[in-house]
Amino acid sequence: MAAHGFWIEAWRRYRRRPLAMAALGFVGFLVTVAVLAPAIAGTKPVLCRYKGRLYAPCLAYFDRRFEPAIFAKDKFRGTYPKNLAEKDPESWAIWPLFFQDPFRAVRADEWPGRPENPSMDQGVPSRAHPFGTDQSGVDVLAKMVHGTTVALLVGFVSMGIAGTIGILVGAVGGYFGGWVDAVTSRVTEIVMCIPTLVLILAIVAIIEKPTIWHTMAIIGFTGWTGIARLTRGEFLRLKGAEYVTAARAAGAGPLRIMLRHILPNALAPILVPITFGIAAAILVESGLSFLGFGPPPPSASWGSILNGARSNLAMWWLVVFPGIAIFLTVLAYNLVGEGLQEATDPRLREARK
Amino acid sequence: MATYLVRRLLQGCVTLVAITVVVYALARAMPGNPLTAQLGEDPSRKVSAADYERMQRAYGLDKSWPEGYLQWAGNLFRGDLGRSITRKQPVTRLIGDRLGPTLLVSGTAFLLIWTLAIPLGLYASARSGTPDERGVSLVLYALYSFPTFVAALFLQILFSVWSKGTAWELPLFGMTDLPPDAPLAARVVDVARHMILPVVCQTYVSLAYDTRFIRATMAEAVRQDYIRTARAKGAGPWRVLFRHAFRNTLIPLVTLLGLSLPSLVGGSIIIEQIFTWPGMGRLFFESIRERDYPTIMGLTLMFSLLTLLGQLLADLLYSAVDPRVSVE
Repeated sequence: MAAHGFWIEAWRRYRRRPLAMAALGFVGFLVTVAVLAPAIAGTKPVLCRYKGRLYAPCLAYFDRRFEPAIFAKDKFRGTYPKNLAEKDPESWAIWPLFFQDPFRAVRADEWPGRPENPSMDQGVPSRAHPFGTDQSGVDVLAKMVHGTTVALLVGFVSMGIAGTIGILVGAVGGYFGGWVDAVTSRVTEIVMCIPTLVLILAIVAIIEKPTIWHTMAIIGFTGWTGIARLTRGEFLRLKGAEYVTAARAAGAGPLRIMLRHILPNALAPILVPITFGIAAAILVESGLSFLGFGPPPPSASWGSILNGARSNLAMWWLVVFPGIAIFLTVLAYNLVGEGLQEATDPRLREARK
Repeated sequence: MATYLVRRLLQGCVTLVAITVVVYALARAMPGNPLTAQLGEDPSRKVSAADYERMQRAYGLDKSWPEGYLQWAGNLFRGDLGRSITRKQPVTRLIGDRLGPTLLVSGTAFLLIWTLAIPLGLYASARSGTPDERGVSLVLYALYSFPTFVAALFLQILFSVWSKGTAWELPLFGMTDLPPDAPLAARVVDVARHMILPVVCQTYVSLAYDTRFIRATMAEAVRQDYIRTARAKGAGPWRVLFRHAFRNTLIPLVTLLGLSLPSLVGGSIIIEQIFTWPGMGRLFFESIRERDYPTIMGLTLMFSLLTLLGQLLADLLYSAVDPRVSVE
C-alpha cells in the first residue's frame, strides 16, 4: 500500500536527524523508567518468598489493590525488611535497586544500618540521597522516578482525548461544510476564547476529590482546539481530491470516506500538533501541581516537588532536579514533533535540496 | 466587505454570550460562594444564619445561576460591570488599578521581545545552516521548552537566596517596598528592581517562539520565485533579505502581533502569582479562589473581547495586505 511507503520514507528521513533521534531515545528511556519504577526505587520487595509462597508487593506502586492481602493481615504496615525476617525466618526477597519510598520518609533502622531520612534544609543531596530529600524527608530521586509515570501518562492520555475530540470535530466540520461547519467552528472558537487556565482552575475546583486522571481529562477536554482547526483545514483541502470523488462514485459512505480515505492522508500533519500538545500537556500539569491545583498527595508529580520549593527557596535541590526533568521531557517531545514535521512535510523537503 | 464585517460582529456577539454563560455557570458550580470563601478564612467573623441569609440576598447569591447571569447581563447592557463582593469596589476600578502594573511588565517584555526577535530572526535566516546559526537556534529552542515557573524559581534562588547581601540581590516579591510618600526617583528605581525578574521570565519564552516564527516565515519567503528573480537580477544577499523577503513576512508577523493583544493586557497568571505582582493575572487567580463572581465575569469578558478583536483584526489585516486572501 502507498501509505506504508510514505511512513517508511518518513522514518528514513527522521532517522537522519541526530537530535530528533536522541529525543526519541530519551522518550524511550522515560518509558523504561516509568515501567520499571517500582523495581528502581521503592520499599516493597520486587519479589519475595513468604510463608512458602511467592509475592510481588512492588506492584502496589502501580495500584494499591495489587498489594497482596496477606501482608496487611500479618500487620506489615508497609515496612517489609524487618517484618519479613521476623515473621518468617525462611523468607527471602529481591529488593528494588534504591531503597527509598516516593510517598513517605524512610525511618531509622528500617533498612539495617540506614539512618532516618533528613528533612527540611538538612536534606542536601548526599551519597545516600543523590537528589536530596524534601521538607518531610521523602527522597526526591524516588519521587522523581515514580513521577515519570505521571508525566508520561499525562502526555499520552490527555492528548489521546484531545486528539480524538479534535479530529472528530475538525473532520465533521471540514467534510460536511455548510451549517455543520458553522456550528463546529463556533464551538471551537468559544473553547479557544475562554482562557485555558481559568477553565482548568474552575473545573478542578468543581471536582471534589481531584485525582491525576481528572487533571488529564481536563487538559484533554480543553486542549483540542488547535487540532480541530488543523484537521478541518486538511479535510477541506482533501475532500475535493480525485480519489475521494472516486470513492464516493464507488458508493462509499461518508464515514468510510472520512476514516479510510481522507484521515490516513491527513494524519501526518495532524500528528505534529499532537506531539507538541504532549509537551504542552506536561507543562500544564506540572504548572497546575506547582500552583497547588494538582492532585493532592500522595501523588508523585514532578510539579508538586517544585511546589514544595516555593516556600523553601533555600532548598535549591527541590527546584533543580525536577525542573531539569520537566525541561528535558518537554524539549524531547518538541524535538520529536519537529523531526516529525520535517520528515513528513513535503514542502520542507523541497527546501532542503 | 460591510456584510462580512456585520456577520463577523454578530458571530462575535453570539460567541461572547456563549463564553460568558459557560464561565458564569462554571463559576457558580464551584463549591462555596464569595461569602463562605471569605468567612471561612477568618473564624472571628462568624455570622448568624439570619445575617448570612441577609447577605446572600443582598448580593443576589440566593438566585439560581441562570437568573444571576441574566441580572449580570442586564447590568452590563447599562454599562455596569458590577461590584466585587469580596473587595467592596466596582469591578471597573479593580481592573483599572491592576492594568497599570500588568502593562508595565508585559509592555516592557513586549518591547524587548520585538526589538530582539526581529534582528535575531533575520540573523538566523541570513546565516542559515552555519554552525553559529545552529547554536543560536538550539539555544532558542531550549529556552522555548524551558517552563517559566521553573525559570522563575531558578532566578529567585540565584538572585535572592544565593546573592543575598551582594550587589546582585534582587527583590523576591511584590512591586515596591517603599511607602508611597518616598521620593519619586527612589520609587522608580525600586519598582524597576522589582520588575527585572518578572520581565525576564515573560520575555524569554516569547522571544524564542517569535524568533523561530520569523525564521520559519523567512524560510518560506526565500523559497518564492520572486526571490530567485531578485537574485538573478543581481541584488546582494542582504538586499534580497530585507527588501524582498522580509517585507513579505510582515503580514504573518502583524497577525502574530494582533493575536498577542490579549496576553499583553491579561498578563501571565503564573508569573504574577510567583512574584506576587499586583496585576491582572493575579487578580484573575485571586477572584477564582475567592469565588468573586463579578470580578471573574468582568475579567472573562475583557479577555474574550480582546481575543475576538485580535482575531478579527488579524483576519482583516490579512485580507487588506494580501490580495490573494479574500474575506468573503
